[in-house]
Amino acid sequence: MNKRTKGESLFPMWLFFVYLGVLLLMSGIHSGLLLGAGQWGWGGLLRTLSPILYWAAVAGGLTVFTRYRIRITYEEPMLRLADATRKVAKGDFSVYLAPIHTPDKTDYLDQMFLDFNQMVEELGSIETLKTDFFSDVSHEFKSPLAVISGSADLLQKSPALTDRDRKEVDSIRDATRRLADLIQNMLKLNKLEKQTIRPAPSVFDVCAQVCSCAVQFEDQWEKKNLDFEADLEDSADVYADPGLTELVWNNLLSNAIKFTPPGGAITLTQKTMDHWVEVSVRDTGCGMTDETMRHIFDKFYQGDTSHATQGNGLGLALVKRILELSGGEITVESQPGQGSVFTVRLPRPEGQEAQT
Amino acid sequence: MIHILIVDDDPKLNKTVCIYLNDCGFETTGVLDAQAAYEALNSRPYDLIVSDIMMPGVDGFAFARSVRQLDKHIPILFMSAKDDLPSKQKGFQLGIDDYMVKPVELAELEMRVRALLRRANIEAERKLTVGNLVLDADGMTAEIDGEEVPVSKREFNILYKLLSYPKKTFTRAQLMDEFWDADTDASLRAVDVYITKLRDKCSACDGFEIKTVRGLGYKAVLL
Repeated sequence: MNKRTKGESLFPMWLFFVYLGVLLLMSGIHSGLLLGAGQWGWGGLLRTLSPILYWAAVAGGLTVFTRYRIRITYEEPMLRLADATRKVAKGDFSVYLAPIHTPDKTDYLDQMFLDFNQMVEELGSIETLKTDFFSDVSHEFKSPLAVISGSADLLQKSPALTDRDRKEVDSIRDATRRLADLIQNMLKLNKLEKQTIRPAPSVFDVCAQVCSCAVQFEDQWEKKNLDFEADLEDSADVYADPGLTELVWNNLLSNAIKFTPPGGAITLTQKTMDHWVEVSVRDTGCGMTDETMRHIFDKFYQGDTSHATQGNGLGLALVKRILELSGGEITVESQPGQGSVFTVRLPRPEGQEAQT
Repeated sequence: MIHILIVDDDPKLNKTVCIYLNDCGFETTGVLDAQAAYEALNSRPYDLIVSDIMMPGVDGFAFARSVRQLDKHIPILFMSAKDDLPSKQKGFQLGIDDYMVKPVELAELEMRVRALLRRANIEAERKLTVGNLVLDADGMTAEIDGEEVPVSKREFNILYKLLSYPKKTFTRAQLMDEFWDADTDASLRAVDVYITKLRDKCSACDGFEIKTVRGLGYKAVLL
């Protein structure tokens, strides 16, 4: 599309002729001024100052005028475009740029805006397709897994099984569960990386959320005879996506329980700071070396290979990614044999209205 | 005999779930889509529905919505591969009672089905009996060994909730949200105070105990 009909250039040739004309006129006036000064018999100081002041005024005027022209023709539309592209890069496809001029006066900037709008619209529809695709993939993977796991559960109840058979069936069930978790985490991570899941932040009470997540693990810590202690404030508001932070707590708590030997302790603490709300999960598990700590947030990294059967190495990568997208952060402190502390910081609401 | 309707478009999984629940002592009917489910529901009454979400034709959401319009009380359990919060939210907004993500552990499904039936039963009878304690939801009265124990409305509601979901821990914030006004100034300690009062009043009960889950909340444990 080469529509160069109207407004071929925002700074057309005639503008420069205007500049030339104005400058020539000015220098004409300058000569006139010099002649006039001689005739009217101006004194030495006035005679020196007048052309300086005169040219300062002319230069100043032209500079301001040029600056003004650049600002209204280029800078303002470009800033709008920059804002819009940033929004799109962050995954907001509802962006629309209004053209600067009415349709009968469109220039190439307007054309660019219109093309940009069209591009964003296209991207948006591709994005929807992709989201649907992922949800379909997850469904397709999980359906056969559901059958395997269901049949294994059923087989487990059969009275004809020997102890050895039962163990084998248990392995099938475990493996199915792990595969299902792996698929789930992989798809989530993928969506977060491709930004098909866009964080939808709101103001909510993180204490209430952490508590409800924690009680879901009660059976597990009781089974392992772990001492679970929670030390939280009554409530603390944060500004984040509650659907995503829930994944963070679930991952950290399930890791803590996984890596703490029976009889150990897990401590959940929460503090409110100036700009952050801090939640820590401390365990008395096997701990990590510096080398391990450097890599735990990498995909598919397993610190301790003896635990490899229990996880899929994606949980912490997912957690990290979520916190990056939420404007939060996660830090870890650990020493081999001394347990680990994972500390998550989430931004407190500043200026965002609390939602009830 | 308790009749359960299983709606899932995967014939193998459907069959497995049916056999498992039959073995647990329920009577199940498996259908592959919502249309067949409507027909089954017309032919006889059911006590509970287990439904998938992604099905050809009418999906689980639409199915649950139309079932809810006809029957406000029948427990519906969604069993879906979808694990995202929006799907769960949408389901619960439509009035489903529980949600499980596939692949489900059938033993867990059984547990949840039993819990749902138990709650449906409590809801239908408006009466809850635990050991020597009888709670009457209509009169908001509590009786221990046939003698009425004075309880306030809020005390009654908290006790009723805890006993309707035995072994489930409620966080203090969850109890506060449900039984106190949204604009209350009361701190979470108020919940502790009520639990202490309830323990006091129920000291003669032999059927349950209110346990503290340290730093988190409370649960009723049946003895």
